[in-house]
Amino acid sequence: MSYEKEVMEKMSRGESTGDRLEIPILKYLWDASPLSFLAKESYHDFFKKVSVLNSFSDNEVRLFTKFLHRREFMTNEVIFKQGDSGYGFYFIFSGSVNIHANFGTQTEDMGDFVIRLEKRQYFGEMGLLEEFNRRSATVVAAENTVLLGIFKPDLERMLELYPVLGAKFLRETALIMANRMGQLTREIVMLKKKVKELEQRG
Amino acid sequence: MKRNQKIKLYLFLAMFAGAVIFAILFPRLTLPFGFAYILYLMAKPFTVKLTTGSKKQRFIYFCIMLVGVSFMFFPLFATLYNMDTDFGKFSAQLPEAQKILQDKVFGLKVKVFDQFGFKLKLDPVNYVMAKIESQGADFLNHIPDYLSAMFEWMLLVPLFLWFFFMESRKFSQGLLEAIPNPIFEKSYVLFSQFNTKFGEYIIAKFIEATILGTLVTLGLLIVGFPYPFILGFVAGVTNILPYIGPVIGFVPAFFIALLSKDPNVSMLGMVVIYTLANLIDMILVFPLLVSKIVNLHPIVVVVSIIIGSQLGGIVGMIVIIPFIAFFKLLFKEIYKDLSVQL
Repeated sequence: MSYEKEVMEKMSRGESTGDRLEIPILKYLWDASPLSFLAKESYHDFFKKVSVLNSFSDNEVRLFTKFLHRREFMTNEVIFKQGDSGYGFYFIFSGSVNIHANFGTQTEDMGDFVIRLEKRQYFGEMGLLEEFNRRSATVVAAENTVLLGIFKPDLERMLELYPVLGAKFLRETALIMANRMGQLTREIVMLKKKVKELEQRG
Repeated sequence: MKRNQKIKLYLFLAMFAGAVIFAILFPRLTLPFGFAYILYLMAKPFTVKLTTGSKKQRFIYFCIMLVGVSFMFFPLFATLYNMDTDFGKFSAQLPEAQKILQDKVFGLKVKVFDQFGFKLKLDPVNYVMAKIESQGADFLNHIPDYLSAMFEWMLLVPLFLWFFFMESRKFSQGLLEAIPNPIFEKSYVLFSQFNTKFGEYIIAKFIEATILGTLVTLGLLIVGFPYPFILGFVAGVTNILPYIGPVIGFVPAFFIALLSKDPNVSMLGMVVIYTLANLIDMILVFPLLVSKIVNLHPIVVVVSIIIGSQLGGIVGMIVIIPFIAFFKLLFKEIYKDLSVQL
Protein backbone atom coordinates (compact mmCIF):
# COMPACT_ATOMS: atom_id res chain seq x y z
CA MET A 1 0.00 0.00 0.00
CA SER A 2 1.32 3.47 -0.88
CA TYR A 3 1.96 6.06 1.82
CA GLU A 4 -0.83 8.32 0.53
CA LYS A 5 -3.38 5.51 0.58
CA GLU A 6 -2.30 4.51 4.07
CA VAL A 7 -2.74 8.07 5.36
CA MET A 8 -6.11 8.47 3.59
CA GLU A 9 -7.39 5.21 5.09
CA LYS A 10 -6.20 6.18 8.56
CA MET A 11 -7.96 9.54 8.24
CA SER A 12 -11.19 7.91 7.02
CA ARG A 13 -11.12 5.59 10.05
CA GLY A 14 -10.52 8.57 12.30
CA GLU A 15 -7.13 7.24 13.42
CA SER A 16 -4.11 9.40 14.19
CA THR A 17 -1.73 9.82 11.28
CA GLY A 18 1.27 10.26 13.53
CA ASP A 19 2.23 13.06 15.81
CA ARG A 20 5.59 13.78 14.19
CA LEU A 21 6.62 15.32 10.91
CA GLU A 22 9.44 13.46 9.23
CA ILE A 23 12.20 15.84 8.20
CA PRO A 24 13.19 13.87 5.05
CA ILE A 25 9.58 13.98 3.77
CA LEU A 26 9.31 17.67 4.64
CA LYS A 27 12.59 18.38 2.83
CA TYR A 28 11.43 16.32 -0.13
CA LEU A 29 8.08 18.17 -0.35
CA TRP A 30 9.93 21.49 -0.14
CA ASP A 31 12.20 20.45 -3.03
CA ALA A 32 9.25 19.11 -5.00
CA SER A 33 7.15 22.22 -4.57
CA PRO A 34 6.43 24.05 -7.84
CA LEU A 35 7.01 27.30 -5.92
CA SER A 36 10.50 26.16 -4.86
CA PHE A 37 13.05 28.81 -5.81
CA LEU A 38 15.92 26.31 -6.02
CA ALA A 39 17.79 26.78 -9.26
CA LYS A 40 18.66 23.11 -9.78
CA GLU A 41 16.06 20.64 -10.89
CA SER A 42 15.13 18.19 -8.16
CA TYR A 43 14.94 14.44 -8.75
CA HIS A 44 11.20 14.73 -8.19
CA ASP A 45 10.72 17.24 -11.03
CA PHE A 46 12.98 15.17 -13.22
CA PHE A 47 11.16 11.87 -12.71
CA LYS A 48 7.74 13.44 -12.93
CA LYS A 49 8.68 14.33 -16.52
CA VAL A 50 10.22 10.94 -17.37
CA SER A 51 7.52 9.23 -19.40
CA VAL A 52 7.99 5.72 -18.04
CA LEU A 53 7.68 6.78 -14.41
CA ASN A 54 4.74 9.18 -14.65
CA SER A 55 2.43 6.60 -13.09
CA PHE A 56 4.45 6.81 -9.85
CA SER A 57 2.95 8.75 -6.95
CA ASP A 58 4.97 11.50 -5.23
CA ASN A 59 5.95 9.22 -2.39
CA GLU A 60 6.86 6.40 -4.77
CA VAL A 61 9.18 8.76 -6.66
CA ARG A 62 10.73 9.80 -3.32
CA LEU A 63 11.36 6.16 -2.40
CA PHE A 64 12.59 5.30 -5.89
CA THR A 65 15.26 8.02 -5.79
CA LYS A 66 16.74 6.38 -2.67
CA PHE A 67 17.94 3.50 -4.84
CA LEU A 68 19.64 5.59 -7.51
CA HIS A 69 23.35 6.26 -8.04
CA ARG A 70 24.45 9.58 -9.45
CA ARG A 71 27.37 9.15 -11.88
CA GLU A 72 29.13 12.03 -13.65
CA PHE A 73 30.81 11.59 -17.04
CA MET A 74 33.00 13.99 -18.99
CA THR A 75 32.69 14.71 -22.72
CA ASN A 76 33.68 11.65 -24.81
CA GLU A 77 33.99 9.45 -21.73
CA VAL A 78 32.84 5.89 -22.43
CA ILE A 79 29.92 4.87 -20.20
CA PHE A 80 30.06 1.25 -21.31
CA LYS A 81 31.34 -0.66 -24.29
CA GLN A 82 29.61 -3.12 -26.57
CA GLY A 83 30.18 -6.62 -25.15
CA ASP A 84 30.71 -5.48 -21.54
CA SER A 85 28.73 -7.24 -18.82
CA GLY A 86 25.68 -5.11 -18.08
CA TYR A 87 24.07 -4.73 -14.68
CA GLY A 88 22.20 -1.45 -14.75
CA PHE A 89 19.73 0.94 -16.25
CA TYR A 90 20.55 4.66 -16.69
CA PHE A 91 18.42 7.81 -16.86
CA ILE A 92 19.99 10.93 -18.39
CA PHE A 93 19.65 13.61 -15.71
CA SER A 94 21.61 16.23 -17.64
CA GLY A 95 23.67 16.29 -20.83
CA SER A 96 23.39 13.74 -23.64
CA VAL A 97 24.93 10.50 -24.85
CA ASN A 98 25.80 8.99 -28.23
CA ILE A 99 25.11 5.35 -28.98
CA HIS A 100 27.45 3.49 -31.30
CA ALA A 101 27.19 -0.08 -32.52
CA ASN A 102 29.73 -2.33 -34.17
CA PHE A 103 27.84 -4.37 -36.75
CA GLY A 104 30.00 -7.46 -37.00
CA THR A 105 33.27 -5.71 -37.82
CA GLN A 106 36.16 -6.80 -35.62
CA THR A 107 37.74 -3.36 -35.32
CA GLU A 108 38.68 -1.85 -32.00
CA ASP A 109 36.80 1.42 -32.55
CA MET A 110 33.34 2.22 -31.23
CA GLY A 111 31.58 1.35 -34.48
CA ASP A 112 28.90 3.32 -36.31
CA PHE A 113 26.93 6.13 -34.71
CA VAL A 114 23.33 5.01 -34.19
CA ILE A 115 21.45 7.63 -32.16
CA ARG A 116 21.85 10.44 -29.67
CA LEU A 117 19.83 10.33 -26.43
CA GLU A 118 19.01 13.54 -24.60
CA LYS A 119 17.97 14.56 -21.10
CA ARG A 120 15.12 12.47 -19.56
CA GLN A 121 15.77 9.56 -21.91
CA TYR A 122 17.07 6.22 -20.69
CA PHE A 123 19.14 3.24 -21.82
CA GLY A 124 20.52 -0.10 -20.61
CA GLU A 125 17.28 -1.61 -19.31
CA MET A 126 18.33 -5.06 -20.61
CA GLY A 127 21.21 -5.04 -18.12
CA LEU A 128 18.73 -4.85 -15.29
CA LEU A 129 16.52 -7.71 -16.46
CA GLU A 130 18.75 -10.23 -18.22
CA GLU A 131 20.70 -12.69 -16.07
CA PHE A 132 23.89 -12.57 -18.16
CA ASN A 133 23.63 -9.39 -20.13
CA ARG A 134 26.16 -8.21 -22.68
CA ARG A 135 25.83 -4.60 -23.72
CA SER A 136 24.63 -4.52 -27.32
CA ALA A 137 26.11 -1.10 -28.06
CA THR A 138 28.74 1.38 -26.90
CA VAL A 139 27.50 4.48 -25.09
CA VAL A 140 29.63 7.62 -24.92
CA ALA A 141 28.95 10.93 -23.17
CA ALA A 142 28.40 13.54 -25.90
CA GLU A 143 29.01 16.36 -23.39
CA ASN A 144 29.46 16.62 -19.61
CA THR A 145 26.67 14.31 -18.51
CA VAL A 146 25.05 13.28 -15.25
CA LEU A 147 23.36 9.87 -15.20
CA LEU A 148 21.13 8.33 -12.56
CA GLY A 149 21.68 4.59 -12.55
CA ILE A 150 19.83 1.75 -10.91
CA PHE A 151 21.54 -1.65 -10.77
CA LYS A 152 20.62 -5.27 -10.09
CA PRO A 153 21.44 -5.18 -6.34
CA ASP A 154 19.31 -2.02 -5.97
CA LEU A 155 16.37 -3.66 -7.71
CA GLU A 156 16.68 -6.71 -5.43
CA ARG A 157 16.78 -4.45 -2.36
CA MET A 158 13.78 -2.48 -3.66
CA LEU A 159 11.77 -5.66 -4.16
CA GLU A 160 12.69 -6.77 -0.64
CA LEU A 161 11.93 -3.48 1.13
CA TYR A 162 9.16 -2.01 -1.04
CA PRO A 163 7.65 -4.88 -3.08
CA VAL A 164 4.83 -2.76 -4.53
CA LEU A 165 7.26 -0.11 -5.75
CA GLY A 166 9.64 -2.80 -7.09
CA ALA A 167 6.84 -4.54 -8.97
CA LYS A 168 5.64 -1.22 -10.40
CA PHE A 169 9.14 -0.34 -11.58
CA LEU A 170 9.60 -3.81 -13.10
CA ARG A 171 6.28 -3.41 -14.94
CA GLU A 172 7.44 -0.08 -16.37
CA THR A 173 10.78 -1.60 -17.39
CA ALA A 174 8.97 -4.52 -19.03
CA LEU A 175 6.84 -1.98 -20.95
CA ILE A 176 10.02 -0.27 -22.21
CA MET A 177 11.30 -3.67 -23.38
CA ALA A 178 7.97 -4.48 -25.02
CA ASN A 179 7.99 -1.15 -26.88
CA ARG A 180 11.55 -1.71 -28.05
CA MET A 181 10.69 -5.27 -29.16
CA GLY A 182 7.69 -3.94 -31.08
CA GLN A 183 9.88 -1.33 -32.74
CA LEU A 184 12.46 -3.98 -33.67
CA THR A 185 9.79 -6.29 -35.09
CA ARG A 186 8.43 -3.48 -37.26
CA GLU A 187 11.94 -2.64 -38.47
CA ILE A 188 12.65 -6.31 -39.31
CA VAL A 189 9.39 -6.55 -41.28
CA MET A 190 10.26 -3.37 -43.17
CA LEU A 191 13.80 -4.59 -43.91
CA LYS A 192 12.50 -7.96 -45.13
CA LYS A 193 10.11 -6.12 -47.47
CA LYS A 194 13.02 -4.09 -48.81
CA VAL A 195 15.14 -7.22 -49.32
CA LYS A 196 12.25 -8.85 -51.22
CA GLU A 197 11.83 -5.74 -53.40
CA LEU A 198 15.56 -5.72 -54.17
CA GLU A 199 15.48 -9.47 -55.00
CA GLN A 200 12.53 -8.93 -57.36
CA ARG A 201 14.33 -6.02 -59.06
CA GLY A 202 17.65 -7.89 -59.31
CA MET B 1 40.80 6.37 -21.42
CA LYS B 2 41.78 10.00 -20.81
CA ARG B 3 44.81 10.91 -18.68
CA ASN B 4 42.87 12.30 -15.70
CA GLN B 5 40.51 9.29 -15.76
CA LYS B 6 43.55 7.02 -15.60
CA ILE B 7 44.94 9.04 -12.67
CA LYS B 8 41.58 8.72 -10.90
CA LEU B 9 41.58 4.96 -11.43
CA TYR B 10 45.17 4.52 -10.19
CA LEU B 11 44.46 6.75 -7.18
CA PHE B 12 41.46 4.63 -6.26
CA LEU B 13 43.45 1.39 -6.64
CA ALA B 14 46.26 2.88 -4.52
CA MET B 15 43.71 3.89 -1.86
CA PHE B 16 42.27 0.38 -1.89
CA ALA B 17 45.73 -1.19 -1.58
CA GLY B 18 46.48 1.26 1.26
CA ALA B 19 43.34 0.18 3.10
CA VAL B 20 44.34 -3.51 2.74
CA ILE B 21 47.88 -2.78 4.04
CA PHE B 22 46.42 -0.77 6.95
CA ALA B 23 44.13 -3.71 7.81
CA ILE B 24 47.09 -6.13 7.84
CA LEU B 25 49.32 -3.78 9.87
CA PHE B 26 46.74 -3.00 12.57
CA PRO B 27 44.95 -6.25 13.50
CA ARG B 28 43.93 -4.77 16.88
CA LEU B 29 41.58 -2.51 14.93
CA THR B 30 40.84 -4.80 11.99
CA LEU B 31 39.71 -7.85 13.99
CA PRO B 32 37.10 -6.04 16.18
CA PHE B 33 35.98 -4.16 13.06
CA GLY B 34 35.56 -7.45 11.18
CA PHE B 35 33.80 -9.04 14.13
CA ALA B 36 31.41 -6.07 14.41
CA TYR B 37 30.74 -6.38 10.66
CA ILE B 38 29.88 -10.09 11.09
CA LEU B 39 27.45 -9.16 13.91
CA TYR B 40 25.97 -6.43 11.72
CA LEU B 41 25.40 -8.89 8.87
CA MET B 42 23.81 -11.36 11.29
CA ALA B 43 21.47 -8.69 12.63
CA LYS B 44 20.71 -7.17 9.21
CA PRO B 45 17.68 -9.34 8.26
CA PHE B 46 15.99 -8.37 11.56
CA THR B 47 16.98 -4.70 11.46
CA VAL B 48 15.73 -4.32 7.87
CA LYS B 49 12.37 -5.84 8.80
CA LEU B 50 12.04 -3.84 12.01
CA THR B 51 13.28 -0.43 10.86
CA THR B 52 11.77 -0.09 7.35
CA GLY B 53 9.25 2.74 7.60
CA SER B 54 9.73 2.99 11.39
CA LYS B 55 10.28 6.29 13.18
CA LYS B 56 12.11 4.62 16.07
CA GLN B 57 15.15 3.38 14.18
CA ARG B 58 17.73 4.52 16.77
CA PHE B 59 15.82 2.89 19.60
CA ILE B 60 15.47 -0.41 17.66
CA TYR B 61 19.18 -0.40 16.80
CA PHE B 62 20.05 0.30 20.42
CA CYS B 63 17.87 -2.58 21.68
CA ILE B 64 19.28 -5.03 19.11
CA MET B 65 22.80 -3.93 20.00
CA LEU B 66 22.18 -4.29 23.72
CA VAL B 67 20.78 -7.82 23.31
CA GLY B 68 23.52 -8.87 20.86
CA VAL B 69 26.45 -7.46 22.82
CA SER B 70 25.11 -8.83 26.14
CA PHE B 71 24.70 -12.24 24.53
CA MET B 72 28.26 -12.07 23.17
CA PHE B 73 29.98 -10.91 26.37
CA PHE B 74 27.94 -12.75 29.03
CA PRO B 75 29.94 -16.02 28.60
CA LEU B 76 33.18 -14.01 28.99
CA PHE B 77 31.99 -12.43 32.25
CA ALA B 78 30.76 -15.79 33.51
CA THR B 79 34.15 -17.33 32.67
CA LEU B 80 36.03 -14.51 34.43
CA TYR B 81 33.79 -14.75 37.49
CA ASN B 82 34.28 -18.51 37.81
CA MET B 83 37.92 -18.54 36.68
CA ASP B 84 39.36 -18.87 40.19
CA THR B 85 37.07 -21.77 41.18
CA ASP B 86 37.47 -23.54 37.83
CA PHE B 87 41.25 -23.28 37.96
CA GLY B 88 41.20 -24.68 41.50
CA LYS B 89 39.07 -27.64 40.39
CA PHE B 90 41.21 -28.22 37.33
CA SER B 91 44.46 -28.14 39.34
CA ALA B 92 43.01 -30.52 41.94
CA GLN B 93 41.84 -33.00 39.31
CA LEU B 94 44.95 -32.84 37.15
CA PRO B 95 47.22 -35.28 39.16
CA GLU B 96 44.36 -37.79 39.32
CA ALA B 97 43.71 -37.51 35.58
CA GLN B 98 47.45 -37.89 34.98
CA LYS B 99 47.52 -41.10 37.03
CA ILE B 100 44.51 -42.59 35.20
CA LEU B 101 46.00 -41.78 31.81
CA GLN B 102 49.42 -43.16 32.78
CA ASP B 103 47.79 -46.40 33.93
CA LYS B 104 45.91 -46.67 30.63
CA VAL B 105 49.07 -46.02 28.59
CA PHE B 106 50.98 -48.57 30.69
CA GLY B 107 48.22 -51.14 30.07
CA LEU B 108 48.44 -50.42 26.34
CA LYS B 109 52.24 -50.84 26.39
CA VAL B 110 51.89 -54.19 28.17
CA LYS B 111 49.30 -55.36 25.63
CA VAL B 112 51.52 -54.35 22.70
CA PHE B 113 54.51 -56.11 24.26
CA ASP B 114 52.49 -59.30 24.87
CA GLN B 115 51.06 -59.32 21.35
CA PHE B 116 54.06 -58.22 19.28
CA GLY B 117 57.05 -58.43 21.63
CA PHE B 118 57.68 -54.77 20.90
CA LYS B 119 58.51 -52.20 23.60
CA LEU B 120 56.77 -48.86 23.09
CA LYS B 121 59.04 -46.02 24.18
CA LEU B 122 56.57 -43.14 23.81
CA ASP B 123 55.41 -41.27 26.89
CA PRO B 124 52.50 -39.14 25.70
CA VAL B 125 51.08 -38.37 29.15
CA ASN B 126 54.21 -36.72 30.54
CA TYR B 127 54.68 -34.88 27.24
CA VAL B 128 51.10 -33.55 27.38
CA MET B 129 51.44 -32.67 31.09
CA ALA B 130 54.65 -30.74 30.44
CA LYS B 131 52.85 -28.94 27.61
CA ILE B 132 49.86 -28.13 29.86
CA GLU B 133 52.20 -26.79 32.57
CA SER B 134 54.20 -24.61 30.19
CA GLN B 135 51.11 -23.41 28.30
CA GLY B 136 49.28 -22.81 31.61
CA ALA B 137 52.14 -20.73 32.97
CA ASP B 138 52.29 -18.83 29.70
CA PHE B 139 48.52 -18.25 29.85
CA LEU B 140 48.69 -16.99 33.45
CA ASN B 141 51.54 -14.63 32.56
CA HIS B 142 49.51 -13.22 29.69
CA ILE B 143 46.22 -12.82 31.59
CA PRO B 144 46.63 -8.98 31.90
CA ASP B 145 47.16 -8.79 28.11
CA TYR B 146 44.09 -10.96 27.46
CA LEU B 147 42.00 -8.84 29.84
CA SER B 148 43.11 -5.57 28.24
CA ALA B 149 42.39 -7.03 24.77
CA MET B 150 38.96 -8.16 25.97
CA PHE B 151 38.09 -4.72 27.36
CA GLU B 152 39.39 -3.16 24.14
CA TRP B 153 37.01 -5.42 22.17
CA MET B 154 34.17 -4.59 24.57
CA LEU B 155 34.68 -0.94 23.76
CA LEU B 156 35.41 -1.21 20.03
CA VAL B 157 32.87 -3.86 18.92
CA PRO B 158 29.76 -1.95 20.13
CA LEU B 159 31.26 1.29 18.77
CA PHE B 160 31.85 -0.20 15.31
CA LEU B 161 28.48 -1.97 15.42
CA TRP B 162 26.72 1.35 16.14
CA PHE B 163 28.65 2.89 13.27
CA PHE B 164 27.47 0.11 10.93
CA PHE B 165 23.85 0.52 12.04
CA MET B 166 23.75 4.30 11.81
CA GLU B 167 26.27 5.22 9.12
CA SER B 168 26.74 2.16 6.88
CA ARG B 169 24.44 3.57 4.19
CA LYS B 170 26.23 6.93 4.03
CA PHE B 171 29.63 5.24 4.26
CA SER B 172 28.91 2.79 1.45
CA GLN B 173 27.44 5.61 -0.68
CA GLY B 174 30.60 7.66 -0.19
CA LEU B 175 32.72 4.64 -1.04
CA LEU B 176 30.67 3.94 -4.16
CA GLU B 177 30.98 7.56 -5.31
CA ALA B 178 34.76 7.22 -5.06
CA ILE B 179 34.83 4.25 -7.45
CA PRO B 180 35.90 5.43 -10.93
CA ASN B 181 33.38 5.08 -13.77
CA PRO B 182 35.18 2.35 -15.79
CA ILE B 183 35.02 -0.16 -12.92
CA PHE B 184 31.92 1.08 -11.10
CA GLU B 185 29.23 -1.29 -12.37
CA LYS B 186 31.22 -4.50 -11.93
CA SER B 187 32.73 -3.43 -8.57
CA TYR B 188 29.33 -2.50 -7.18
CA VAL B 189 27.66 -5.74 -8.27
CA LEU B 190 30.55 -7.91 -7.04
CA PHE B 191 30.68 -6.03 -3.71
CA SER B 192 26.92 -6.54 -3.29
CA GLN B 193 27.19 -10.24 -4.18
CA PHE B 194 30.04 -10.68 -1.70
CA ASN B 195 28.08 -8.91 1.02
CA THR B 196 25.03 -11.08 0.38
CA LYS B 197 27.05 -14.32 0.23
CA PHE B 198 29.05 -13.46 3.34
CA GLY B 199 25.94 -12.53 5.31
CA GLU B 200 24.07 -15.64 4.19
CA TYR B 201 27.06 -17.85 5.05
CA ILE B 202 27.47 -16.38 8.55
CA ILE B 203 23.74 -16.72 9.33
CA ALA B 204 23.60 -20.25 7.87
CA LYS B 205 26.64 -21.35 9.92
CA PHE B 206 25.13 -19.79 13.05
CA ILE B 207 21.85 -21.70 12.54
CA GLU B 208 23.76 -24.92 11.75
CA ALA B 209 25.89 -24.54 14.91
CA THR B 210 22.76 -23.90 17.01
CA ILE B 211 21.01 -27.01 15.62
CA LEU B 212 24.06 -29.24 16.19
CA GLY B 213 24.69 -27.82 19.68
CA THR B 214 21.05 -28.40 20.62
CA LEU B 215 21.12 -32.00 19.26
CA VAL B 216 24.31 -32.84 21.21
CA THR B 217 22.95 -31.24 24.42
CA LEU B 218 19.64 -33.13 24.19
CA GLY B 219 21.39 -36.42 23.37
CA LEU B 220 23.84 -36.08 26.26
CA LEU B 221 20.98 -35.18 28.60
CA ILE B 222 19.11 -38.34 27.54
CA VAL B 223 22.11 -40.66 28.14
CA GLY B 224 22.95 -38.86 31.40
CA PHE B 225 26.39 -37.67 30.35
CA PRO B 226 28.01 -34.93 32.53
CA TYR B 227 28.24 -31.26 31.41
CA PRO B 228 25.68 -31.59 28.55
CA PHE B 229 25.16 -27.82 28.13
CA ILE B 230 28.86 -26.89 28.04
CA LEU B 231 29.70 -29.79 25.70
CA GLY B 232 26.76 -28.90 23.44
CA PHE B 233 27.92 -25.28 23.32
CA VAL B 234 31.51 -26.37 22.49
CA ALA B 235 30.24 -28.77 19.78
CA GLY B 236 28.13 -25.98 18.28
CA VAL B 237 30.91 -23.37 18.29
CA THR B 238 33.56 -25.71 16.88
CA ASN B 239 31.12 -26.85 14.19
CA ILE B 240 31.54 -23.42 12.57
CA LEU B 241 34.81 -24.84 11.17
CA PRO B 242 33.88 -27.21 8.33
CA TYR B 243 35.22 -30.82 8.45
CA ILE B 244 37.78 -30.12 11.22
CA GLY B 245 35.29 -28.61 13.67
CA PRO B 246 33.29 -31.77 14.53
CA VAL B 247 36.55 -33.58 15.46
CA ILE B 248 37.71 -30.72 17.71
CA GLY B 249 34.25 -30.54 19.29
CA PHE B 250 34.35 -34.26 20.12
CA VAL B 251 37.70 -34.13 22.01
CA PRO B 252 36.49 -32.68 25.38
CA ALA B 253 33.64 -35.22 25.63
CA PHE B 254 36.04 -38.05 24.75
CA PHE B 255 38.45 -37.08 27.56
CA ILE B 256 35.60 -36.69 30.07
CA ALA B 257 34.39 -40.20 29.20
CA LEU B 258 37.96 -41.55 29.36
CA LEU B 259 38.74 -40.06 32.78
CA SER B 260 35.36 -40.55 34.43
CA LYS B 261 35.03 -43.14 37.19
CA ASP B 262 31.23 -42.95 37.14
CA PRO B 263 29.84 -46.26 35.78
CA ASN B 264 26.83 -44.38 34.33
CA VAL B 265 29.06 -42.37 32.00
CA SER B 266 28.98 -44.30 28.74
CA MET B 267 31.69 -43.76 26.15
CA LEU B 268 29.65 -45.70 23.57
CA GLY B 269 26.51 -43.62 24.23
CA MET B 270 28.46 -40.38 23.87
CA VAL B 271 30.11 -41.54 20.60
CA VAL B 272 26.69 -42.54 19.21
CA ILE B 273 25.22 -39.12 20.14
CA TYR B 274 28.07 -37.19 18.48
CA THR B 275 28.01 -39.43 15.40
CA LEU B 276 24.21 -39.10 15.03
CA ALA B 277 24.27 -35.31 15.51
CA ASN B 278 27.04 -34.90 12.94
CA LEU B 279 25.31 -37.27 10.50
CA ILE B 280 22.08 -35.24 10.76
CA ASP B 281 24.18 -32.13 10.18
CA MET B 282 26.00 -33.62 7.17
CA ILE B 283 22.96 -35.24 5.52
CA LEU B 284 20.24 -32.67 6.27
CA VAL B 285 21.35 -29.34 7.73
CA PHE B 286 24.54 -28.60 5.74
CA PRO B 287 23.13 -29.42 2.27
CA LEU B 288 19.98 -27.40 2.95
CA LEU B 289 21.61 -24.38 4.56
CA VAL B 290 25.27 -23.95 3.69
CA SER B 291 26.41 -25.89 0.63
CA LYS B 292 24.28 -23.90 -1.84
CA ILE B 293 25.75 -20.65 -0.54
CA VAL B 294 29.40 -21.71 -0.61
CA ASN B 295 29.40 -24.25 -3.48
CA LEU B 296 33.07 -25.25 -3.07
CA HIS B 297 34.77 -28.62 -3.44
CA PRO B 298 35.56 -30.29 -0.05
CA ILE B 299 39.32 -30.35 -0.85
CA VAL B 300 39.23 -26.62 -1.59
CA VAL B 301 37.43 -26.08 1.75
CA VAL B 302 40.01 -28.08 3.75
CA VAL B 303 42.97 -26.35 2.04
CA SER B 304 41.27 -22.98 2.59
CA ILE B 305 40.82 -23.68 6.32
CA ILE B 306 44.53 -24.53 6.66
CA ILE B 307 45.49 -21.31 4.83
CA GLY B 308 42.98 -19.36 6.95
CA SER B 309 44.43 -20.72 10.20
CA GLN B 310 47.93 -19.71 9.05
CA LEU B 311 46.77 -16.19 8.17
CA GLY B 312 44.34 -15.33 10.95
CA GLY B 313 43.96 -18.12 13.49
CA ILE B 314 40.40 -19.16 14.38
CA VAL B 315 38.85 -16.00 12.85
CA GLY B 316 40.78 -16.71 9.66
CA MET B 317 39.52 -20.30 9.59
CA ILE B 318 35.90 -19.10 9.78
CA VAL B 319 36.13 -16.12 7.43
CA ILE B 320 38.29 -17.69 4.70
CA ILE B 321 35.45 -19.84 3.24
CA PRO B 322 33.17 -17.00 2.05
CA PHE B 323 36.28 -15.14 0.82
CA ILE B 324 37.32 -18.14 -1.29
CA ALA B 325 33.72 -18.42 -2.59
CA PHE B 326 33.91 -14.72 -3.51
CA PHE B 327 37.27 -15.13 -5.30
CA LYS B 328 35.80 -18.04 -7.25
CA LEU B 329 32.95 -15.72 -8.29
CA LEU B 330 35.44 -12.96 -9.16
CA PHE B 331 37.59 -15.23 -11.35
CA LYS B 332 34.46 -16.55 -13.07
CA GLU B 333 33.42 -12.96 -13.87
CA ILE B 334 36.89 -12.04 -15.16
CA TYR B 335 37.04 -15.22 -17.25
CA LYS B 336 33.56 -14.48 -18.63
CA ASP B 337 34.69 -10.97 -19.59
CA LEU B 338 37.83 -12.28 -21.29
CA SER B 339 35.87 -14.77 -23.38
CA VAL B 340 33.30 -12.35 -24.77
CA GLN B 341 31.75 -13.62 -27.96
CA LEU B 342 29.16 -11.39 -29.42
